[in-house]
Order: sequence, then structure tokens, then C-alpha cells
Amino acid sequence: MGDTGVGSSTCPFGRPIRDAHFLFAPTYTPLNHGAFGTYPKSVQKRLHECQALSEARPDYFVRYQYPPMLDKSRAAMAQFLGLPVDEVVFVPNATTAINVVLSNLRYKKGDVILHLSTVYGAVEKTIQYLCETTEVDDINVAVQYPIDDGFLVSLFRAGIQSVKSQGKTVKIAVFDTISSLPGVRVPWERLVEVCKDEGVLSMVDGAHGVGHIGLDLAKVQPDFFASNCHKWLYVPRGCAVFHVPKRNQHLIRTSLPTSHGFDPLPREGGQEIVNPLMIAGPSKSNFVMLFEFVATLDVSPYLCIEEALKFRRDVCGGEEGIVTYCERLSNEGGDKIAEILSTEVMENGEKSLARCAMTNVRLPLIIGDGPGEIPRKNTLAVAIWMTEILAKVHDVYLPAFIHADAFWVRLSGQIYLELEDCIRGARILRDLCERARGGEYLKDQKRE
Amino acid sequence: MDSLEDANPSPSSSISSHTIASNDSIQPPVFGQTMRTQHFAFDPAYTPLNHGSYGAFPVAIRDYQRALQDRIEARSDPYIRFTIPELLNKSRAAAASLLGAPMDDVVFVPNATTAVNTVLRNLQFAEGDTIIYFSSIYPACEKTVRYVCEITPAVCRCIEVTFPIDDADLIALFCKTIRHIQRKGGKAKLAMFDTVITFPGLRLPWERLVKVCQEFDVLSLIDGAHGIGHIDLTHLASTGPDFFTSNCYKWLYTPRGCAIFYVPFRNQDLIRSTMPTSHGFHTSLNDSIDGISTITQDRDRFGDLFKWAATVDQTPYLTVPEAIKFRNDFCGGETVIREYCFNLARDGGQLLASLLGTETMQTLQDRPNQCCFTNVRLPLRFSHQEPLDKNAKGTLDAANGAKIVTWLMECAMYEYNTWIPGKFYYGAIWVRLSAQIYLELKDFAWAGGVLKDLCVRAQRGEWRSHAT
Repeated sequence: MGDTGVGSSTCPFGRPIRDAHFLFAPTYTPLNHGAFGTYPKSVQKRLHECQALSEARPDYFVRYQYPPMLDKSRAAMAQFLGLPVDEVVFVPNATTAINVVLSNLRYKKGDVILHLSTVYGAVEKTIQYLCETTEVDDINVAVQYPIDDGFLVSLFRAGIQSVKSQGKTVKIAVFDTISSLPGVRVPWERLVEVCKDEGVLSMVDGAHGVGHIGLDLAKVQPDFFASNCHKWLYVPRGCAVFHVPKRNQHLIRTSLPTSHGFDPLPREGGQEIVNPLMIAGPSKSNFVMLFEFVATLDVSPYLCIEEALKFRRDVCGGEEGIVTYCERLSNEGGDKIAEILSTEVMENGEKSLARCAMTNVRLPLIIGDGPGEIPRKNTLAVAIWMTEILAKVHDVYLPAFIHADAFWVRLSGQIYLELEDCIRGARILRDLCERARGGEYLKDQKRE
Repeated sequence: MDSLEDANPSPSSSISSHTIASNDSIQPPVFGQTMRTQHFAFDPAYTPLNHGSYGAFPVAIRDYQRALQDRIEARSDPYIRFTIPELLNKSRAAAASLLGAPMDDVVFVPNATTAVNTVLRNLQFAEGDTIIYFSSIYPACEKTVRYVCEITPAVCRCIEVTFPIDDADLIALFCKTIRHIQRKGGKAKLAMFDTVITFPGLRLPWERLVKVCQEFDVLSLIDGAHGIGHIDLTHLASTGPDFFTSNCYKWLYTPRGCAIFYVPFRNQDLIRSTMPTSHGFHTSLNDSIDGISTITQDRDRFGDLFKWAATVDQTPYLTVPEAIKFRNDFCGGETVIREYCFNLARDGGQLLASLLGTETMQTLQDRPNQCCFTNVRLPLRFSHQEPLDKNAKGTLDAANGAKIVTWLMECAMYEYNTWIPGKFYYGAIWVRLSAQIYLELKDFAWAGGVLKDLCVRAQRGEWRSHAT
């Protein structure tokens, strides 16, 4: 399991690289990389170095050291993604980037934001908030997995066309590269094409993207793109890459929050608002300046990109090796879990859903009112109960969720895991499902 | 299996290696150089005279934060989901105790600018609504107001103020502005003002401004960026502002970015969303359970809204109790810190002014010790300026004021390894120094030497060849 077969990692994947390079508690089984990611010791060292720089001479760091360091980071990220550097900035997380895009757009009556039903919760809430406070409306394209890519694309197109047939306009569509729950690959490249056909702006939520799957952004050319570096790129929280092609940068009036980089409309008799970070440096585009200083934060995560890429290249043997291992482990691990639970992995006919480092396995639980079944009103409680026992008693983390009227768990493959980790999780799940069927979660509730 | 119950890094263990005095003897804290070398992580060659911009935090807090970060990486999902919410509430309670406010009304955001944005973007503005602020407003906040006026019907009114100004005159200007807006048929919807303004570094009579707002039914948004840990705010809640924010990373010795956002219960319904919108948001539909709205009844709602506002490193928020503990155990507590810093600002400022042959900026009420800042005029005479002192030889063109300031500050950094913020302010160059427990009088004397040298060189025109 440790041999990547591609490139040459200096340390075998699985337990060896985990012990040598990662920061986990020794007895913890981390099967949910997709939620918060993690970073290796060498990146932590870099994080501490940057933080130490900012404490040694705070003003000097912010004004003189940070801007060129940020530029280098952006350049490294841009090169990794095959994008022009002036189309790439950092924000704390993908949710912020999506909020920036959606709240910068000006909506008029009849404008609609389109999203899939598998949209990330916080993004859905962002859209709901905009529906509440602006003229925009939303349309939710219901998607139930497993589903073939072609079918999903046609549902998406039908959604757009149904809006148009009502005389309204889909202003922008938001969709994932890989959805969160379930964790499945989305044919996002084809959805961008549909958007172009239909004259719809595309906001690609690549939260699960960079470092996880190939992203040919230069070829696909979405209108807006964001991806969390702190998920799959081994960068500390919070750091996300935000890509806006030059043709769309005029749509982004302000960062979130509005800060020093904002250029107010000129006012008669008004004085220019001074930017206290008076740096003399190479002139940068408005878009880049907008996101250089966005209110005081610990910006050290933004400065860890090169170190993370170095680790992936030099210690792990390169992107291909990492991605291959993660996907393979996720799939083999998922198959193993399904075998132990006597259920199945979430997959469609063309086997496109699990072409990533996450796999979803159905749990042997039925939602219903019969004996051994889980009443609908208890489903959330059961999911929470199982997750807590897994974590607090067994030191394993696996997220459980409900989709298409069934219980699932989502497994994240990673270079610090081996098949044995997945098997361990599976056996505990099997036992927990049995106990759930016996109603044990109810007793726990009453105890509180 | 190592204990899963052992959720928190033990606070005192990370501090013990930095003890000044043994715990059983009551010794006064040793401020100044000793505090600096024992507790802070500044480059030894650097002279930190600008605490007000980015703050600083003791090594003990850094170590505590790192221990938290280690705990998170050891078991990220369980720690973030099960342990951090408890720690976050402890932090909220600790911060709230310095504000005289209930914990439920206090949440964390990354910085004061975010809180200001959160208020201004959440409020619904109608035609005629006016946002009022003083010309001393923090630039990023002014930009936020300008943006809001771009996308909503709101308009803004900037009250031009030249400091120093007598409190009574400031209040009068403020009242006059509100009345003027009302006479013209507009509504003074919201006023934003500081506790301590950024430049010059002066305390505002913010309590009185709040009272005026209450009198005229104007929402008050206080940018207390320089607030918590700087001036006494235990009367904040009782004073009754509508919204308040303050940066903990500035004066409370926490890491960046960490700020508190205080919204009294009566106003919490006005804040529908965090910025960015995240999991805590509830549509007005969701809040109705069995037909009964729970919006105004749930005391935890505000805390829940801000519990998670997208993935960031929350450890800065979680260091507040430890920072307060450090200030109590090693610095003698808030009052002792405040007294030392206020007195050092006063005495250091006066020393600097006497070395330069100029003066510190004081209000007409002559309140030199109201905050940790001191503002000192440089002995450079500019055209259009009244001749104030005999030490200024020759006159510089006021048109070059800003350029000269830039040159001065950059020289101070590159040649003297210090950052002294300055501004060409109404015909003269003023510098702002921040007093802190890691500084003493000799640091201000040293600054005097630096500034004297730079002024001589400025007089000679050295700044002309400087590329800005």
C-alpha cells in the first residue's frame, strides 16, 4: 500500500509517512480529511516561521515583507493552476470567495441564482440571505445520487431553461467540482460549457479541488473559481485560492469585508481616502490590490503554499502519486467498508462519482417505522450519535449523513492512511448499526 | 490511548517557564526592558513604538496558541466540533467581563473592520437615511461606508474635525450635524465613531456621543478598535451603544485576528447574517417551529450565528482567557497596565516633545493621560503654518508634507529599525507613539534622538531624491 508506483516518494505512504511527517495523535484514525484537511510538520514549521516574522517586527512584516512574500505565493499557486498570476488571489476560505462573488453582483427583479440541491450548506444559506435582501430569486435543481453525469448535466440545463421560459434570467449558477455530502465528483467542466451556451455566469465552488483532482481552468474557463488550499493541498487553515479571469474582474467591486484596497467612486469636493499601508512597489491591478490587505488577519497560511507544494513534490514524489494513491485508497477502502457492511458504494453506471479521493458507503439502516428501522424523525439523532461514539469512544472520525432516504458515511482517502484504517472504521460501523437498529441511540438521548 | 478528555492544553504549564517572580510573593510587575526580554518575541534590534497598529502578544500566549493548534491537528474533527465550542464560550465570557456585558451579547470576528462591515451590510437603508462619521474615521471604515452608499439608498455625511478639539465643541458639532440632516428632511440613521481615534491617537468622549445618539434616536456604531485592553470599558454595556467592536489583538495581547463584536439583545434581530454568510444563518422560515417564531426568544441565537463563520483558524479567539490571565498574573491586572501605559504615554510624550523643542497634542481640557498614545509635533516648519517655535529653521513647502512624512518613516525603518507612524496633519508633521508595558522612558528618549536626526536631514532636503 505504501508504494505509489508513480514518481518516488522519499517515504512510503500509509503509516510510515504519517508517523514521519504528520501531526496526528498516534491512536486517532482520521478518515475525514475532506472536512478540515491537515498539514505536515514542514509546513507547520513554515507557518511558525512566518508568524515569528510578524511578531519580530510587526510593522516591517506587514508593509515590507508580506507583500513580496504574498506575490511569490500567488505566483506559485497560479503556476500550479496554469493561470495568469494577476487572476489569482487568496481569501480565508471558499465560502468567503463565493460570498464575494454573489454579493458583488447587482441583481434586478427576474434575476435568479441557480444551484444544485447538493450545494454546500453555507453556500445555500448565502443564496437564501441574498434572496431575502435583494431582488434575486433562486432555483434549486434537485439531484439525487447515484446519477449519471449526462443526466445531471441535462437536469442542470433543464433548470436554466425552465427559468428562461418564465421570462426570468439565470444570472449565475453555483456548482461544485466535488460535492461535500455526498462526496462525489461533479461533471463541472460540462456544466461550465452549458453555462456558456446559455449565457449564464458560472461560479465553481472548488472547495474540494486544488490538490485533489486535476483542474484545467485555463481550458474550461469558468467565470469564477474558488478552492480551499487548506483542504487537500496541505496548507494550514484558512487559505483558499480565488480566481477571477480578467474579463470578469470589473464585476468584483469590493472584497469582503471592504477594506483598504477598495477604490470608492469619486465624489465632488471629496478628499482621497488615505491608504495607511503606504507601500511603494510594483503597480498591481485593482483586483490584486483589492485582496492584498483585507483587514488584519494572520496571513501566514497564505504564505505556506510553496512549502506545501515542495512537500508534495519532494517528499511525496509529486501530484500524480498523491492523487493516485488517495483515489485508490478511497475506492478500495470504500469497497472494503461496503463488503463489511454488506451494502454498496455510491456509484453511477459510468463510474464517475468516485473518481476522486472521497467515497460514500451506504449504512445497513432502513428509514421507516418497522422493527429495527429508524423513524424519520430520529435520523439526524442517529447520525450524530454514531459520529460521537466513533469519535469519543473509538477515536475514529467518519461523517455520517442522510441522502436519498438512506444513511451514508463518507470516506476520504489520504497518503497517511492504509486499508487497515478503513477496515477498523467499518467494523465499528457495523457494530454501531446493529446497536442503532436496537434503538440504543434513544437510551443515550434519554440519559441526557 | 491518550486521554480524549484532556481537551485543553494546561494553561500554567506553558507559562511557568517565563515566570518573573515566584507565585507566592507579591512583587510589582517589572515593566519596560525586563518585560520585553522576558515575555515578548520582538527582534532584539527592533524598537517597537507602534503597538497600536498590529498589537503584540507575549510568548506565553504564543505557546498557548500553538498548543491549541497542535491539539487541533492531532484530532481536527473532534476538537473543532466538540471542544472548540466550549472554549469559544469561555472566551466570550472572559471578553464580556471586560465590557460589563452579558456573554450572550458578545461574539468573535476576525477584526473590527469585519464587524463594521457586518453592521453596515446587515442594516436596511431607505431613501434619506444618512450615515454620519467624523473625518478621523479609520480609512477602511470610510471605504465601507462609501461602498454601502453605492449599493443602497443611504448617503453619508462626514463631519470635518481638526484635533485637538474640546469635547464640548465636538459634541456640539455632532448635534448640529444631526439637526441639519433632520431639517433637510433626512434621517440620521446611524453614526459611527471611535473610542480612541487612530490618528492622532486621542480618546473621544464616546460615552457622550452615545448619549446624543440616544437622544436623537440615531443608531450608534462604535469602532472601538483601540478599546479592549486599552481604556476601561467595564461601563460599555451600561452606556448603551447599539453596536460595538474592538480588536483584541491590538491591546489585549491575543494573536491576530481576533476582535469582539458586541450587540445588545435589543438589536440582535438587525444582524441577520455573519460576513460571510455561513451555517449559522436561518431564513425567517426556518426559525418558525410549530408556527411559533423562536427568533426573539432564543438567547443563544446571536452566539450560534457567529459560532462558525466559515473555516478559519479560530485559535486567536480561544486565547482570550489566557491573555487576561497573563495580564492579571504577570502584569498586575488591567488597572495597573492602564496606569503604566497612560503615564508612560504622558511622560514619554513630554520627554520627546522637550527633546524636539515642540509639544504633544492635547485637548483644551488638557487631558494628557487618557490613552496609551502620545502625539508629538515634529520641529519642521511648513509654509502656511504659524511660526510656533524658534527651533524650526527654514520653511518647507506644505505641498511636500506627505512625501516628507513617507521618507521619514521609511528612514526610521531602514536606518533605525523602528516604525513611527506620522502624518502631515493640518500644516505640521505629527508622530504617534504607543506606550506599552514592554517600553520605558528611555525608549522615548531614543526616539527623540532618531527624530531629531531625521528632521535635520529633512530640513536639508534629503527626501527630495527619495523615490516613493
